[in-house]
Amino acid sequence: MIKNSALIFGYNEYTLEIEKSISSYYDDIHIFKLNEEIKQDELSSYHISSFDLSDNWDDLKSCMDMNNCVAFCVLEDMAENIFLTISLRDTFKDLVIVALAEDKESADKLMLAGASRVLPTTQTTANIIVEILEKPIVTEVLHHILYEQSSLKISQIKVGKSNFFDGKYPADIDWSRDHGIIVISIVHEDMSSEFIYSAKEKHHNIRCGDIFVVAGYEEDINNFEKLIGGKCD
Amino acid sequence: MLKHWLVDTAYQVSTSKKYAKIKTFFYNLLENSDFKYKKYFDLLMIAFIFASVIILIREVKSHVNDYLLFFNNYVISIVFLIEYILRLWVNSSVTNIIIQNSEHDAMLGDEFKLFNTLKEIIAVKFRYILSLKAIIDLLAIIPFFHELRLLRIFILFRVFKLFRYAKSIQTFTSVIAAKKFEFLTLLVFASIIIFVSSILIYVMEGNIQESPIDTFFEAVYWSIVTISTVGYGDITPVTESGRVVAMFVIVAGIAVFSFTTSLIVTAFTEKLDEIKDLKLIDDIAKVKEFYLICGYESVSKEVAKKLAINNKVVILEENLLKVQQARKAGFFALNYDPGSIESYKKLRINIGTQVKAIICLSHSDVENVYTALTVRSFNKDVFILSILKNKINRNKLNFAGVNELFYEKELVGIIAKEFVGQPVAFEVIHALRSSYNGVDMQEIVINDRVVSNFVSVGELNNKKYRIVLLGIYKKSKKRFLFNPLDSTLLETGDYLLVIGNVQFLKMFTNNLHKKGSK
Repeated sequence: MIKNSALIFGYNEYTLEIEKSISSYYDDIHIFKLNEEIKQDELSSYHISSFDLSDNWDDLKSCMDMNNCVAFCVLEDMAENIFLTISLRDTFKDLVIVALAEDKESADKLMLAGASRVLPTTQTTANIIVEILEKPIVTEVLHHILYEQSSLKISQIKVGKSNFFDGKYPADIDWSRDHGIIVISIVHEDMSSEFIYSAKEKHHNIRCGDIFVVAGYEEDINNFEKLIGGKCD
Repeated sequence: MLKHWLVDTAYQVSTSKKYAKIKTFFYNLLENSDFKYKKYFDLLMIAFIFASVIILIREVKSHVNDYLLFFNNYVISIVFLIEYILRLWVNSSVTNIIIQNSEHDAMLGDEFKLFNTLKEIIAVKFRYILSLKAIIDLLAIIPFFHELRLLRIFILFRVFKLFRYAKSIQTFTSVIAAKKFEFLTLLVFASIIIFVSSILIYVMEGNIQESPIDTFFEAVYWSIVTISTVGYGDITPVTESGRVVAMFVIVAGIAVFSFTTSLIVTAFTEKLDEIKDLKLIDDIAKVKEFYLICGYESVSKEVAKKLAINNKVVILEENLLKVQQARKAGFFALNYDPGSIESYKKLRINIGTQVKAIICLSHSDVENVYTALTVRSFNKDVFILSILKNKINRNKLNFAGVNELFYEKELVGIIAKEFVGQPVAFEVIHALRSSYNGVDMQEIVINDRVVSNFVSVGELNNKKYRIVLLGIYKKSKKRFLFNPLDSTLLETGDYLLVIGNVQFLKMFTNNLHKKGSK
């Protein structure tokens, strides 16, 4: 997933937050504004260019390796965001496009417009608020594992050595006691995901290319990774 | 001497906790519709009223058992007498009047004026005695003197006492009372018509041999029967002039009838929303625990929908249109301003015990700050969660007393980071959070019962239910223990963080609480 450059279309508070979070993952972050006002002091280290919805993206094509880019469409006007997504998809068939959606309706439209992943803000906000109220401990622990500097991590590990399993089913292995990690889910090569606790998974043979989603301490995850394969890229 | 004794006694009584407790109990029992025992008291009184009326009806043509008569004439009457005295007592405070007057006189340097105080006490008590409800209560006691046969009819006043106990009758009277002026106008109009037509018909037919109208009473009776559009036909005019009067009364009768109907309908239509709100407030007051959402906008709609799966949700919203939308979606929604203390007073709820959390979800930080401050002004402890629309307002919301702030733009940034960093793990956690495919992540609180069944993690037997124990949140240490060892001891107040199929999770939780399940 990690590409070299991130292109953020739209200049607003979402841009600032996304830039802050992803800056460590990318060599370059390019910000494109439509007609938003620029507060230069906030993102002074970035070059902010302008774009037009009627753009045919010739300039972009000429100066960027689009196969190595991820585009974030974060325009606050949903109609414009959908138009932008469709315009980018029309020109760049393989570009990874992450788009911001206000609600379920615009999320569906963005998927139809060719977005690779949609972030529905209303639904996500509501989900987290309900989680904070109903499952405060789960929220706190997940937040700690996922978003804060902690030695406890959730990681994805690609199976490189399927012979490690030697005919054993995932359910037969005591991951937590043998390896100090907890396997949450196994994602198969065809990207169909199964949680470890499902009846189906009990009789699934691990193949090369399957991805394990595991939780554990960094050291244990690294040891486990060495044991079964390589970390996915 | 007497004055001193009176003032001393008043102070003694008003500071007595026992006296205050007893008076509050009786006040709640008689007047406070939220008091849990009031409905049982009301039901008992309604039963007494019906028993009285049934005995009265039975007595007309049959002999009624002496014990029943005794019960009706003495037991019920004494109960009503006690109730009357109690109402007279709790209606106002004599001690307060004495204390206030003595302090007032002392402040002015005057001697305590006993006569003025007594006058005030009598005036206050008489104001109550002369109220309609108190008069009905008094008349309902009269059948006590049953030896006077005529007084038995006063039993019917007991039926009027139903007004006190049946809420729907109270609602009906309040609706009618709202149109008092219109009904009075109608009554005056009808009375004039009846009076004039009675005189006319009596003058026209009183001396006619064939006419059934002989007395003025018969003329009034005919007039009322005709104007009410009942028209029995036992008395009919026989002369031409008499029939002209009849035509005039019939037309007036139609007007009176339609005016009355439209008045009642209008009164109900106008009061309908208010009646519905009152009913809703009553229902809310009975809910043990609920979430209070302030503002009904896009995020609140989703939050309310999700919370309503396992909880009761009450919504306060200023905009009537949005309130209607919320009601259509099946929520308890009230057209009240969440930023006004008055709204919470009207709700008649105990924020401390009934409200699980107050969630400020208005799309304006200004409104959320205002709501949080309003709540904090009368309750320091209730949990308040608010969304933050603009991060420059973070401190203001914190200052207003919000316990948990939620800034959605920051969340989007965090999610974007997770998505670009570990997309597969992100999808799995996302699926887990939204209980995708029936798999959920839950927290199970360890209580004394669980601790008495299971001592350590190794005994939990979670693998039997295909449940993964992610860790234990140790309340005593405020620490999360990931992948705990089998020997880790369970303590009351700890939380188990488990992942598994929802059905299995339910079975596992039940098993934890089952005695001897180990």
